[in-house]
Amino acid sequence: MIPPETTSKEPKEMSAAEEQSQEREAAPDLSAMGERRQGHGVKVRGLHAYYGSVHAVKGVDIDFPANEVTAIIGPSGCGKSTMVRCINRMHEEIPGARSEGHVTLDELDVYGAGVDVTAVRRMIGMVFQKPNPFPTMSIFDNVAAGLRLTGTKSDNLRERVHRALRAVGLWGEVKNRLNSPGIGLSGGQQQRLCIARAVAVEPEVILMDEPASALDPIATLKVEELIDELKNRYTIVIVTHNMQQAARVAKSTVFMLDGELVEHAETTKLFTNPSDERTERYVTGKFG
Amino acid sequence: MQETRHQFREDLKELENQVLGGLDLVIGQLDRALESVSYQDVELAAMVVADDDRIDGRYLEVHQGILSLLARQSPVATDLRIVAALLHCIRCIERMGDQCVNIAKLVPLSGHDAPKDKDTLDAIERMGQLARSEVSQAKDALRTRNVDLAQDLVRQDAEINRLNRAIFKRAVEIGDDLELREWGMFMILVARCLERVGDNAVEIAEQVVFVVTGLFREMADIGTSAEAAQSS
Amino acid sequence: MSTVSGATPLTQISPGRKRKDRIMRGSLMAGTGIALVPLILVIYYLIYKGVSSWSASGFFTTDPTGSFFGNPGGIRSAIFGTLEIVALASLISIPIGIAVALYLTEYGKDGRFANLVRYFVDVMTGVPSVVFGLFIYITLVISHAGGAGFAGWKGSLALSLLMLPIVIRSAEVVLLLVPSSLREAALALGAPRWRIVWRVVLPTARSGLVTGSLLAVARGMGETAPLLFTVSLATAFTGNINGLMNSLPLQIYTDITNPRDVIVARAWGAALTLVALVLILNVTARLISRRSSMT
Repeated sequence: MIPPETTSKEPKEMSAAEEQSQEREAAPDLSAMGERRQGHGVKVRGLHAYYGSVHAVKGVDIDFPANEVTAIIGPSGCGKSTMVRCINRMHEEIPGARSEGHVTLDELDVYGAGVDVTAVRRMIGMVFQKPNPFPTMSIFDNVAAGLRLTGTKSDNLRERVHRALRAVGLWGEVKNRLNSPGIGLSGGQQQRLCIARAVAVEPEVILMDEPASALDPIATLKVEELIDELKNRYTIVIVTHNMQQAARVAKSTVFMLDGELVEHAETTKLFTNPSDERTERYVTGKFG
Repeated sequence: MQETRHQFREDLKELENQVLGGLDLVIGQLDRALESVSYQDVELAAMVVADDDRIDGRYLEVHQGILSLLARQSPVATDLRIVAALLHCIRCIERMGDQCVNIAKLVPLSGHDAPKDKDTLDAIERMGQLARSEVSQAKDALRTRNVDLAQDLVRQDAEINRLNRAIFKRAVEIGDDLELREWGMFMILVARCLERVGDNAVEIAEQVVFVVTGLFREMADIGTSAEAAQSS
Repeated sequence: MSTVSGATPLTQISPGRKRKDRIMRGSLMAGTGIALVPLILVIYYLIYKGVSSWSASGFFTTDPTGSFFGNPGGIRSAIFGTLEIVALASLISIPIGIAVALYLTEYGKDGRFANLVRYFVDVMTGVPSVVFGLFIYITLVISHAGGAGFAGWKGSLALSLLMLPIVIRSAEVVLLLVPSSLREAALALGAPRWRIVWRVVLPTARSGLVTGSLLAVARGMGETAPLLFTVSLATAFTGNINGLMNSLPLQIYTDITNPRDVIVARAWGAALTLVALVLILNVTARLISRRSSMT
């Protein structure tokens, strides 16, 4: 349901009902996206990735369960970002880069013969470290960009954009200025705008490459709350170098080192009693 | 090359040393409390009661140190288990200190020239030795992270429990003399305090196993089942 | 480790250093002055000599008569000729130039063929404009291709050859300025590459592309040599681009050696007009780039 857009200036004081509705608009509201869909998990098998002759990911097997948040942690250069970019086949866009292995979304192998790469990316969305809204587009156009760029014929474009904005909890903050430029928002809002853009395309999986590392602590917490909501509808994979963040948002955590998967365990276990010595040394900061 | 998180490691080591020092304090208190019981030394008993302030102070120090460490350093994995264990241990130490105070408080009450029963006194002395040894062994187990040493405590604790029940039985059968019976009941209370000291030492041992293995198991259960196996 | 009482005081700059600073500043300013002087002289001279022609009646509204005596006429056909020829040249060179730049940044990137193209573009920027004129002369004018010998559109071709490398170079720079994170974001949404170019890259680079194109146009307007061999000179006002046309550079070229003072004055007026047109284009380019900066 799209509320009527207010055009007149509101008086400063608000009634209790208005305050309540403002609060509701500020919280992420995934129910705006419609009934709950069944989630889809991702399985990675025997994934190898190369930059030219550099072997960056060395045979990784991971299951990402449906409707769960899985975090990937590890030191710089361990291959975590590379591995995640192989999931939506963004890795091969880099000149000289290639990958081998299988990544299956339910039964579909993303690397299968004859698979349309752009279709894969529509099903597996991605949010980047630095918020990157399109500078020449308004807030509305930014969220609609995913639909327009993929040539999705949509007769209810406006509604889909509004729903996506509601889903990420931005609606209350931007509903009166949907036509102002996307880059006019604060960093945290821009990142949520990018998440709305990804969500509007209605993917099955959302990959997040250090989504909050460029944000201040409050914006970070908002994004984390949003992730917690998003998992009800999507499968989420989040790469982060911030262990506390992984500990807060993820149900299970993967630790990678030098391109290899070292440990994959339930988050609590990984952070209270890891099985592998290398994991222990990394999370306690024993190697710098 | 300096290890990473140097300050954190030092702070954690310092906390552990404070806990180990607390165990030393307990051993000292225990010795003096038992001595005051053996020799009916009221002055010594009063000293034990007064010195409990040091153990309480140590508790507050460690508690504060742990809060500070949690807030500033976000310990995880083994470090987190150590911190949790230290918190548990310092509480056990505080309780053991209180038990020593309870023993000391019983000394003036049980009367200066009260008649004494040799069997009971021997049992109490034996219990005291065991309790002391348990606390000392718990300290070593914690310091060296030795799981075998920790699990061995259960064996000693079984013996303390047995002596406790024996003293109770003896007090019931001690005879018709009123003063003797009264004394005997005070001795029951002393025995119970010592038994509690033993239990706290076992708890510390459980924490040692938790730190090393990441698993928490109540060793008291192991103890009673071992006893049951023994007595059958 | 550190002294307790008072750190060493901050020393004054030595007089020797002060002197060196002054000498350096003085010589740099002198150099700037020397460079500016001829520039100012040129502008002053232009205005001084040309403004009087501007106020002559019919300067902008009549065509040069070409007659040896009598009313020399204005420069109307020259202005329109220049506009027509340059417009056609822009129509050819700008889209092709941007397309080549897009190929270089989006598809070729660092490949061997792309680098080869870049090399050739660099070479082309260094080619003297006369050569382009001669090239078209030899290939199209002599053979009377398209009917006539000299023709406006052949002049446009020569100019577009000149403008093309400029457009490509500046467009490539602007396109490279588009942050790759935007392309990444569009790719990750599942957009096909051509749509990314059309809906993200080009709109983001738009103002820079316009600026670069305007500058190329300004350059093309002032070139004489290519037109010499391809369009030659006509005095009539004509819209037929497949024939002789007038143009400002050529008009200036022929007029300036004329013995009649009034015609020489007309040349100055034409020169001033040409400079004014170029100036307008440059200022417009500046204003556009300032309006939409890409931060």
